[in-house]
Amino acid sequence: MSDGTARVQPLRAAREAEPQVELWVFGLNHKTAPVELRERLAFPEEDVADVLKRAIAAAPVDEAVLISTCNRVELVAVSARDVDIVDPVTQFFARERGVPATTIASHCYVHRGKQALQHVFRVASSLDSMMVGEPQILGQMKAQFRLAVEGAAAARILRRCFERSFTVAKRVRNETGVAGKAVSLSSAAVELAKRIFDDLGDKTAMLIGAGKMSELAARHFVGQGIASVIVTNRSFDRAVDLARQFGGTPVPFDRYAQYLPLADVVLGSVTTSGYLFGPSQLHEVLRARRRRPMFFIDLGVPRNFDPAINDLDNVYLYNIDDLANVADDHRAEREKEAVQAEEIVREETERFWQWIARRDVTPTIVALRGKLDGIRKNELERALVALRKLEPDERRALEAMTQAIVNKILHPPLAVLKQLALQDASEAAQVAELVHRLFALEPAAARDATDDEEER
Amino acid sequence: MTEALLLRLALLLYLTGTVCGGLSLVNPGDAMRRATSFSLAAGFLLQGAAIIARSFEVGTIAVASLADQGALFACLLVGVYLLAQFRYRLAVLGAMVGPIGFVGALVALVAHGGAQDVPQVLKSPWLPVHVTLAFLGNAAFALAFLVSLVYLWQEKQLKSHSVGRMMRRMPPLETLDNVNFKFLGWGFVLLTMSIVSGVLWAELSFGRMWSWEPRTLWTTIIWILYAVLLHGRVTVGWGGRRAAALTIVGFFVLFVAFIGVNVLAPGRHAESFG
Repeated sequence: MSDGTARVQPLRAAREAEPQVELWVFGLNHKTAPVELRERLAFPEEDVADVLKRAIAAAPVDEAVLISTCNRVELVAVSARDVDIVDPVTQFFARERGVPATTIASHCYVHRGKQALQHVFRVASSLDSMMVGEPQILGQMKAQFRLAVEGAAAARILRRCFERSFTVAKRVRNETGVAGKAVSLSSAAVELAKRIFDDLGDKTAMLIGAGKMSELAARHFVGQGIASVIVTNRSFDRAVDLARQFGGTPVPFDRYAQYLPLADVVLGSVTTSGYLFGPSQLHEVLRARRRRPMFFIDLGVPRNFDPAINDLDNVYLYNIDDLANVADDHRAEREKEAVQAEEIVREETERFWQWIARRDVTPTIVALRGKLDGIRKNELERALVALRKLEPDERRALEAMTQAIVNKILHPPLAVLKQLALQDASEAAQVAELVHRLFALEPAAARDATDDEEER
Repeated sequence: MTEALLLRLALLLYLTGTVCGGLSLVNPGDAMRRATSFSLAAGFLLQGAAIIARSFEVGTIAVASLADQGALFACLLVGVYLLAQFRYRLAVLGAMVGPIGFVGALVALVAHGGAQDVPQVLKSPWLPVHVTLAFLGNAAFALAFLVSLVYLWQEKQLKSHSVGRMMRRMPPLETLDNVNFKFLGWGFVLLTMSIVSGVLWAELSFGRMWSWEPRTLWTTIIWILYAVLLHGRVTVGWGGRRAAALTIVGFFVLFVAFIGVNVLAPGRHAESFG
């Protein structure tokens, strides 16, 4: 009672020990930006680690993960609560990719707090995908997350956040029909092929680039009975590998053009600096195949095929956006399917958000509990010395009684703190500071326990 | 009397076939497709019976008036379509052929009684052979024309990346292209046979196998046109949009020439059919 006055904690201490954080999603996707812009903003995988380092240096963010696929470029970041990262991040992207900041600003979206969390969960669960339920996005996110972890850009909060998002995605896949019913870009491509060709059974598909997406599309075509598959890839080993899966033929990347006249369906998904070919080269190919129709599917970012080839007779070129438009017809059905999935995401967001929100009061709770328990143990020790001759069960009864007293005393304030953390973060922080002062708590000791505290 | 009744029934069936064909585009399914084919087939048989009845009345095949020719053409068009339907699923064509049959039967019904007699000189067993071959050929060309229209429409949709619900009911482009080729081929063979039969008839009956007059001139032009089109197709691989566009042009020439010659030009064909 008497020694407490000398060691009052300064009000600032709690705040500095555990800064309040804000979760951000800054990005653009297939709904907000055209493919040309997405192409320009997409980052090659090998650059991601460096990009994240530069982002953390350039913008006031503590953690960052980049999600860069052909349909979206998003920065998921954690900052201190009272800073605004939108402008610095916009400028950062503009500098990195040489795109005017105003262009980015007019096509991007920003989510923060719980909405940002929900967005990450939705993306992982493929609910925000161009083709709802398509399976690639999860793998892509995992890969990008790994890059961020290796580059030390994702730390405590984002690590938990992403790991949880993968769990959520798994739940959505297992508990809803979204993944199963999903009409993917690939099946839209097959559907279109069936509008062009009367029988896939005598047709050949050629994969230029052995990416995940074209692999998936090829699988659909094979499933629909396409006669043969030719695979070419910069890494020939990968081409051989993929060709073996489909019973297809691998061809070296520098000689694929020779085989082009054999292909009725051509799937492009390589990373190129320019177009693989344009109308004039294709003219020769068409002549060689007696002008039988060709269906080109451009899955590459940046684009693989010159859009001008679509103007050639008997040539049909679709890029990812075009495929999505075709698939749009089924959107209503799919969205019905997605309602259940959205419910799961909402529920998981709520649950995980509590963990994040309570992070602000968790040190206080741990410290308070520790303090009271310390007092209890001290006093119990002292009493036991005085009482000396006690049976073991009497000791246990005393132990239990003191424990119960502490718990009963702690219950209302802790409940209020937890509740407050969910409702009003700033008030929760004030109350937490007050608690620190009233009970003369040690913030430093409490912090280590943070991550062990439950996320219930 | 019976002829009018047959035509009325045929009208009704063609109408049913048209409606079913239209519905099968909106709501595809075997039932609707079968109903279309069945109605059109029944209409075809009834109209065919009406034409035969009328031909007996006239004494030879009834092609003296433009109305008679229109009716015969429409009837054979439906017939050729029905044959093709066995091989290809072309519900969309059914919806286009139905109205043509309907109009043909309607024209025949309205013009009923206004029959013109065929000049005695042409009352020969050659006439039905020659005329039927020519009209079957025209029917095949007309179907090629309709298929080409569908092709161009669908090609445009695919090129512009706006693939609507309706398009999913259409046959694939490749099928349309193949069917177009088949119709053109058959049309060409029938046209050639019709020309040959005409030449033989002229030689045997009039001692002169060829006389230049507007109809034979135009027929020659049309024959060359289709020959070029088919040749390009076989050798260079003209297909798709180009073939469809040329098919449309070819049929347009054929149609204009047919009407024009019938209405304006003199000659043995005209003096007999005018």
